[in-house]
Amino acid sequence: MTAPNANLVGADADVGTTDPDEATPAIVEFRDVDFRYDSGLLALDGVDLRVEPGRNVAITGPSGCGKSTLLRLAAGLTTPTRGMLARGPVPEGAHPLSMMFQEDTLLPWLTVAGNIALHFKFRRRPKSYVRDLIGELLPLVGLQDFENAYPYQLSIGMRRRVAFLSAIAPRPQLLLLDEPFSALDEPTRVALHQDVLRVTQELGTTLVLVTHDIAEAVSLSDEVLVLSKRPGRVAGRHLMTFGKERDVLGMRESEDFLHLYGEVWSDLRRQIRGEES
Amino acid sequence: MTAVVTGAKPGTDSVLKARLVWAKDNVKVLVGQLLILAAFLVAWQQLPQIPFFSSRFHFLDPYFVSSPTAIASRLVDVLTGRNGSFTVWSYVQPTLLASLVGLVVGMVLGGVMGLVLSNSPFASALLRPFIVLLNAVPRIALIPIVIIAFGASLGAEIVISVLIVFFVVFWNAYEGGQSVPLRMSQNAQLLGAKKRQITWRIMAPYVLAWTLASLPNAVTFALLSVVTSEVLTGNNGLGFLITQSLSTADATLTFTTAVLLAIIGLIVVMAAEAGRKRVLHWWHPSR
Repeated sequence: MTAPNANLVGADADVGTTDPDEATPAIVEFRDVDFRYDSGLLALDGVDLRVEPGRNVAITGPSGCGKSTLLRLAAGLTTPTRGMLARGPVPEGAHPLSMMFQEDTLLPWLTVAGNIALHFKFRRRPKSYVRDLIGELLPLVGLQDFENAYPYQLSIGMRRRVAFLSAIAPRPQLLLLDEPFSALDEPTRVALHQDVLRVTQELGTTLVLVTHDIAEAVSLSDEVLVLSKRPGRVAGRHLMTFGKERDVLGMRESEDFLHLYGEVWSDLRRQIRGEES
Repeated sequence: MTAVVTGAKPGTDSVLKARLVWAKDNVKVLVGQLLILAAFLVAWQQLPQIPFFSSRFHFLDPYFVSSPTAIASRLVDVLTGRNGSFTVWSYVQPTLLASLVGLVVGMVLGGVMGLVLSNSPFASALLRPFIVLLNAVPRIALIPIVIIAFGASLGAEIVISVLIVFFVVFWNAYEGGQSVPLRMSQNAQLLGAKKRQITWRIMAPYVLAWTLASLPNAVTFALLSVVTSEVLTGNNGLGFLITQSLSTADATLTFTTAVLLAIIGLIVVMAAEAGRKRVLHWWHPSR
């Protein structure tokens, strides 16, 4: 790999100073990012992506297009093999980011409260503070009576709610969602969408969502990115025009929703076709 | 058959039927098992009484195989001191002590080593070949070496059972540490955990669960190793009792000791399992 700007690989530059033209500093920004596996397989090819505070981004694309890799890069769990990944300033004492994984990450030996308190246990915060916070968080997603339940006693939908609370409890600047609701049935999923949107707006958390579900992408985001087949490039960007206050259940019947759904779908269909030819 | 019909609602016929079939099958299995056991005991009791068999086959001579009733009666004798018999408790005590100490120490060491090695690629790469090598040595071959080093003492028996239990437990614990899904530690890392916290708060409970999963095997091996070293050293214990009964050609006592060992093993395993279920109530490996 002879990248021209390889010296910038993985650099954590301050976006606000590197790009003075931009009004708001991005939380995270990908500039011409490649990711290549150790096997030599190129997963992402020249990806540009800018996540600004309060603007939720959804990413979709054909299977194996590198969506999850993109999220792992944003999380800092791995580093680009070429290009630059820049992070904006994190306010003093704030939590930079959390992630909700596709599969269960609840610790089976901890209660609901114990799982939600995980971040504070790692940071050794006082118990009374954490107990009060959990008391405030549980009703947000209808789990108020399940504080002392263990994960194996909960339904999949409830376990996902606990995982969500565990991720947002530290009030992260950024919440990364890796197909977090794919195991749920449609009514449960849509109800959870509404909760996620409401709670993250309240906390001022910005979402980056990777999903196969176009309705989910349209419902939760302000911008939907469609990636091409592997190696993934950003093939299309679609602005969602629903504003902040959304009725996730009702909006599915609106003309706008159906129109945007169709727009994203036809873009995605073209990318899948490209895969087949 | 005792299928209790309670609160049967309309539309639950098929459920009820399925339950009845299940209960029926269970009763069949249980009755079958009791029949096999009864047939075995009756054959053991009666065949050696028939001269045709006992004169032709050594293993059907009552002198060598004793009989279930004689063993049961002797068991009561040695447990209570009835009929002027010695009691077995002075033999049970050292065997049980060495086994339990070996069990606990071996499990703790195996669990800790499993956690350390599964958690550190360097330590794993460094020590694995030696552990594989040691593990390849038939455990029984280690017993004389330990006896020479520590003398024919209770201490030697404990060291032997620690060694043997350690290997049983270690592999399980190591595998448990390896089996922790990557996303679990990554999630903790993103929530602000330091490496040490991931080890103790994420890895350790998994390793504990897998360590305790090897408990029934570990109990068996602990008893086996202690009894074997007692047989070899002549140290006081149930192994010594077996040697004694062998030298006096007392078949009934040999069998009685074996039954006693089986009962002790069963009690220890059941007690340990009950404790494990309490500690690991959250553990459902199928999920």
